[in-house]
Order: sequence, then structure tokens, then C-alpha cells
Amino acid sequence: MPDDAPERRMTRDAALDVLARRRTDQVVVSAMTALGPWRQRSPSDRNLFNLGFMGGASTYALGVALARPDVPVWVIDGDGSLLMQLGSLATIAHAAPANFLHVVMHNGIYETSGAQPIPGEGRLSFAGMAREAGYAHAARFDDVEAFDAELDDLLSRDGPTLVELFTAPGDSFYAPAPPPAERPTPAVARNWPVVRDALRTD
Amino acid sequence: MPTVAQSIPAASLLQALLDAGVQDVVAVPDTHQRTLISAIEEHADLRFIQATTEDEATAICAGLIVGGRRPLLQIQHAGLYACVNNLRGLGIDGAFPIVLLAGLLGRDPAKAPGDDFGSMVRLAGPLLDALEIPHYLIDGPADLPHLAAAYAEAEARGGPVALLLGAETC
Ligand SMILES: Cc1ncc(C[n+]2csc(CCOP(=O)(O)OP(=O)(O)O)c2C)c(N)n1
Ligand SMILES: [Mg+2]
Repeated sequence: MPDDAPERRMTRDAALDVLARRRTDQVVVSAMTALGPWRQRSPSDRNLFNLGFMGGASTYALGVALARPDVPVWVIDGDGSLLMQLGSLATIAHAAPANFLHVVMHNGIYETSGAQPIPGEGRLSFAGMAREAGYAHAARFDDVEAFDAELDDLLSRDGPTLVELFTAPGDSFYAPAPPPAERPTPAVARNWPVVRDALRTD
Repeated sequence: MPTVAQSIPAASLLQALLDAGVQDVVAVPDTHQRTLISAIEEHADLRFIQATTEDEATAICAGLIVGGRRPLLQIQHAGLYACVNNLRGLGIDGAFPIVLLAGLLGRDPAKAPGDDFGSMVRLAGPLLDALEIPHYLIDGPADLPHLAAAYAEAEARGGPVALLLGAETC
């Protein structure tokens, strides 16, 4: 297990490649700087986007997991985002969905808002907090090959499982688009009905 | 005639939830609704899902709706103030038909909530107005049909509908 401030960090893209190679029918909720690269790598009518409600990815995913215990649900969360609703670790552990994989992209910063460091960086462990909150499994990786080697085993176990990935900070600063001429339908409202329809069993 | 909020028995509220097709109740405990919470926890056909904050509870409701379930967001007025960003992001921007039932703990039963001395009670309506969320007062057993109507309205408008519970359940 690496120190809390590892020397080595995998790239976000390499981490997402490892997940995308295993992606089949999972519902995947992605957040922040993982969202765009995930959508590119793994296009699907089962991708849910955490846009405009920072911190909500983990519990949005929990709702789907509890509605559909037969469908595996992954969430690719931001470290700053998870800190914003850290109580969700207890909520998820308490609900104990076996079909739940929680991936935390630990880049140590609020990259999207201009790369400010997250509180506790260098000291806190998301895997440690998940384990102590009562997740069934928790692991952390700084090396993408080790992550790749162990992911199948982690996926084969009943969750909830949290995987903390030390990723290299990038520079994906978010610049808002220019104001539209007409009131648009927000992205979240366009996104979830697609996933709902893809999940329909009747 | 002055408004006088009447207490509703937990069993009647629970039946109204079942009649409205509710399957999951997502909650942060509301003192006002504690007898209803106990009744829900004991009922085999309703799943009780607890969250640590109302922001989480709102997102859980949204995820449940994606998965085809019909949830109720059960909170206290204080919780309404605590979940504004997710209510806006998921309820308004996401157009999720979330129905919430919020207890007006500490409300003076003889006054309209807008005239209450307590800010938690008095500001709930204006806050919902600001969020463009329709809201209805459940002030006694006669108002129970609002529950099923709230689900119909939430589906029709594509967005949240709030029910404010005026008196403690019994
Ligand atoms: C409630 C709320 N507060 C603040 C912000 C501003 N904000 C936008 S992105 C962001 C940082 C996200 O950090 P993290 O979850 O670590 O994701 P990363 O960008 O590092 O991938 C912040 C603070 C927001 N969007 N919502
Ligand atoms: Mg981050």
C-alpha cells in the first residue's frame, strides 16, 4: 500500500482505460474531469453524468444500484466531490449494495475549479475511510499495472467496494460556454431518461 | 376561521403512500414524522433507505427513479434548507419527478406557515417558490389525497413537488 502522498501516480487516461476494457452492461456514473474522457472511451446508453450537482455522484449511483440489484453499478468519483458528501460512505455501507463499485480519482486537487489542493491531501485515505465506514472491500493503487492486475478479483467480490486511484493532477480547468440564445434543456435532463429506457425490463 | 393543523395518524399516511404507489422512502429522520418512520420501517412493502444528509437523499431518489422505482423523499423543513443544490441540480435541471414530504416541526398550528414566528417554518414556502417547486400543505386527514396528486403533478411537470406536513403525525 502506498504512502498517503505517493511519489508515483497513474494518469487518469490509463486508469480509465483499465475500467473501459472491463465495461460491459454496467451503469456508470462519472464526475468532473473523468466525465469527458470516460464518455469518449466507453460510449453507452448506460452512462449517467454527474453534472451540476457536485458531490452527488456516489448517492446518485447508489439509487440506481438499489433500484436494480441485478445490474452492476460503477461510480467514477472525484476526491473533492466525495469529500463534499463524505457521509455517503456511511450511507452506502449501510445500504450495502453488492453490485456497487466506487472508484475515487485521487488527484489531490480540485482540478476543474483551478487545481486548488483538497483539504487533508497527503494525510487522508479514501480506502481507509471506506473500510472504516463499513464497505465490504477497499483498495488503493498508485501503479496502473497493479490496478489492472487486481481489478478482476475486486470485481468478482460482493460490494460495496471502493478503489482509490492516485492519479496525476492535470490541467482541465472548466471554462463555461458562452450564454445560449434560448433556454436549453439541461444535460442531466437529456441524459437520465436514456439510461432509464436502456434499463427497462418490460 | 383560523387555520388549525390536525395531526394525521401514521397508519393513514402510510396507506396514502401505498395508494400513491410509493415503493421506497428515502429519509433523514424528521422528528415531526417519527411515528410514520416507525410504521414505514415495520412495513414489508416499503423499503426504508437512510441517508446522512438530505443532499444525498435527493440524489438517491433520482437514482431510484432512473432504475424505475417510485421513491418518497422524507425530510424535515431543516433538511429542505440542506439540500437546495441537489434539488436544483437534479430536481430542476435534471427534471426528476421527486416528491418530498417535509415536516414543519415547531409550527404554530393555529397560524398559516407564512405567518409563523419561526424562520424554519415561515421560509419553507418562499424557498420552494424561489426554486420554482409547487408545494401543498398537508394540514389534516382531509389533505391526504394531495399525496397521489403530487406524484401525478411531478410526472406531468417533470420536476419536484413538495408536501409540507403541518402537524406532528400520531
Ligand atoms: C456545490 C459546489 N461547490 C463548488 C463548486 C465549484 N467546483 C466545480 S468543480 C470543483 C472541483 C472538483 O474537484 P474534484 O471532485 O476533485 O474533481 P477533479 O476536478 O479534480 O476531477 C469545484 C470545487 C461546485 N461546482 N459546486
Ligand atoms: Mg480532484
